[in-house]
Amino acid sequence: MANPEASQALFEQHVLPEIEVLLRVARSLTRNDADAEDLVQDTLIRAYRAIERFDGRHPRAWLLTILRNTHINRNRRQRPELLRDPDGTSRQLNELVAVDVTDAGVDAGFDAEIERALAELDEPFRSVLQLVDVEGLTYAEAAEVLGVPAGTVMSRLHRARGRIRDRLDRAGLAPRSH
Amino acid sequence: MKKPWKSLFRSSAKRPMTCGEVGEWLQHYLDGELDDRRSERLAAHLEDCRRCGLEADTYERIKHSLADRQPAVPADSLARLREFGARIARGDEPVER
Repeated sequence: MANPEASQALFEQHVLPEIEVLLRVARSLTRNDADAEDLVQDTLIRAYRAIERFDGRHPRAWLLTILRNTHINRNRRQRPELLRDPDGTSRQLNELVAVDVTDAGVDAGFDAEIERALAELDEPFRSVLQLVDVEGLTYAEAAEVLGVPAGTVMSRLHRARGRIRDRLDRAGLAPRSH
Repeated sequence: MKKPWKSLFRSSAKRPMTCGEVGEWLQHYLDGELDDRRSERLAAHLEDCRRCGLEADTYERIKHSLADRQPAVPADSLARLREFGARIARGDEPVER
């Protein structure tokens, strides 16, 4: 590398602040803590090697692209049967929102109904809910992870929330829509 | 609790959205993905329309319920990765091509 000091400075500036987000998304993709840590470690190495080519804009989206591609490559190496579905992202995100609601909260009925609505959602709708509403990514960042256009993320997300909203409506937990 | 859209001032130069337009743009707005001009027009509508306000409340509650499901990341894993990243940034990790 031509200038290691410059690369190290760019890495510190753009990459280090995103490590927690990378780990969150990696856990969603792998559903395994050890695999997630390995995936982020590989992503950090690849990011360092590519950082001189990074234009400095949208570092999180850039890193999520590297994370996704690294994930795909690792799956190809470790699980060749996934070649027909090399991404595997949808399948692995399939279980993601089915987490326990540990906080009883002030509105258990509302949360429980949302849990039931989530269980009824098909992929790829749950994937976008996980990435945007649970993990807090923007449309564009979720699009990088899923390898689809941001407009697709948006339409899936809105339809998914609309289905949840309709279920809440049927349960008497939401006002009638127009 | 004060709703974020209640704090926005209506611009007299901009026509508030209709209920139909709010239905089209509400989720973009709540996600912070709507441009300023449309956001102002949508906020102006929500000030006056009870039904759209309730709809906005419902989608906000859905978003908050989902956000509350964010699992905690393992602290030890995060600490190891941060240290690994810091070593790269210091030039202490042999990651050159």
